[in-house]
Amino acid sequence: MTVVDTPPPRLPVRHRAVAAERAWGGVSPMLTRLAAEQATGVLVRERGTLYLDEGRVVHAESPLSPGLDALLTANGTLGADAWRDALSRADDQRGAAHLLLAGGHLTKGALQLCHLSAVYDAGYFALAPSSTPGRFRYGIAHRIGPVLPVPVSALERETVRRRGLLHRIWPDTRADSSPLVRTYATAAPRLTARQHALLELVDGTRTAPQLARALGRQAFHTLVDVRRLVAAGLIAPRQVPEREATAPAPALADRLAHTTDPHITLLKRLRDALEAL
Amino acid sequence: MPGIDECLLEAMRLPGARGAALVDWTSGLALGTVGESPGGDHETTAAEAAELARLAAEHGAFASADDPGGERPPVEDLIVSNRDSYHLLRFVDTSFDSSVFLHLWLARSDGNLALARIRMGEMAQRLVLG
Repeated sequence: MTVVDTPPPRLPVRHRAVAAERAWGGVSPMLTRLAAEQATGVLVRERGTLYLDEGRVVHAESPLSPGLDALLTANGTLGADAWRDALSRADDQRGAAHLLLAGGHLTKGALQLCHLSAVYDAGYFALAPSSTPGRFRYGIAHRIGPVLPVPVSALERETVRRRGLLHRIWPDTRADSSPLVRTYATAAPRLTARQHALLELVDGTRTAPQLARALGRQAFHTLVDVRRLVAAGLIAPRQVPEREATAPAPALADRLAHTTDPHITLLKRLRDALEAL
Repeated sequence: MPGIDECLLEAMRLPGARGAALVDWTSGLALGTVGESPGGDHETTAAEAAELARLAAEHGAFASADDPGGERPPVEDLIVSNRDSYHLLRFVDTSFDSSVFLHLWLARSDGNLALARIRMGEMAQRLVLG
């Protein structure tokens, strides 16, 4: 009887560094790919839109966050007319941002500061887990023109960090999108002036993004205050009315659409990536 | 007219300046950074400095008496000193809603805290008013 003494073939080993590199598709694998190929155009995702110029984010918009115009006009920093005028005169050579600076409506520092804040704010929502794959259209630019571009990796890292920040304050995500009602806590903490102003506007119909728009504040800043107030027991997401709660299919789809469960978001990212191939 | 980067580079020209950043204290995001940072990571430093700034800005004990519930930042600046360096955090007062401060890290051996405080106040104003 012969004895086989050939050792079995070595099992394949995954190199950890390489594997980690491959597995990190960012929050949107499609966006990572577009950044790598230095694409120019617009990425439309379920909850927001990112404008890329040579692979870097130059502008972002979301229906859930007040835009640059809303932030600038809310407190009278910029007249609504000046904004409309700049947007209508903007062309390929000179964007609206350039025209606003040239017209002396804003200083460069103020514009950069407000624009960067608006980009990260809208980017947070645009990069939220989505239930539909994103679409990219090449060669489209926003009329605002170049201000300060943000690397895709920086926007993704910040978005993930912001999710963690909100989760640490209060893990329930319902307060981010439901109408908010006031509740009365017995031992309420002392509120800041900003939180007072926010609390005054909580009326049982407005959601956190609507409150942000009413106050001319960044939506993420408002989410931070909202979650802190929910944690303090001063406001709560309004209970869904009975008839909506009993319709099982939309409720489930809705729950899945807004989930931050890491397993489900991973599956969604995986699906988005496969569809984007 | 200075932008964010020009403003930070100007801060770096102060004697003893080791690093500077413009940070949002609600989110902890660094909107701009130059030079070094303690520990070598600007993002971590920004998040930690933002926590400190938020505490100072939100507690009534540190607010000025003339504008208690106002829109302007209640605190002008924060100074932290340790055995080898100073940190100077200067709140930026913007006409639109924001929560940002300039963070300057100064070497203690050749930094001049009084001068830095005056200059940072001017820079914070010029950044938004031109």
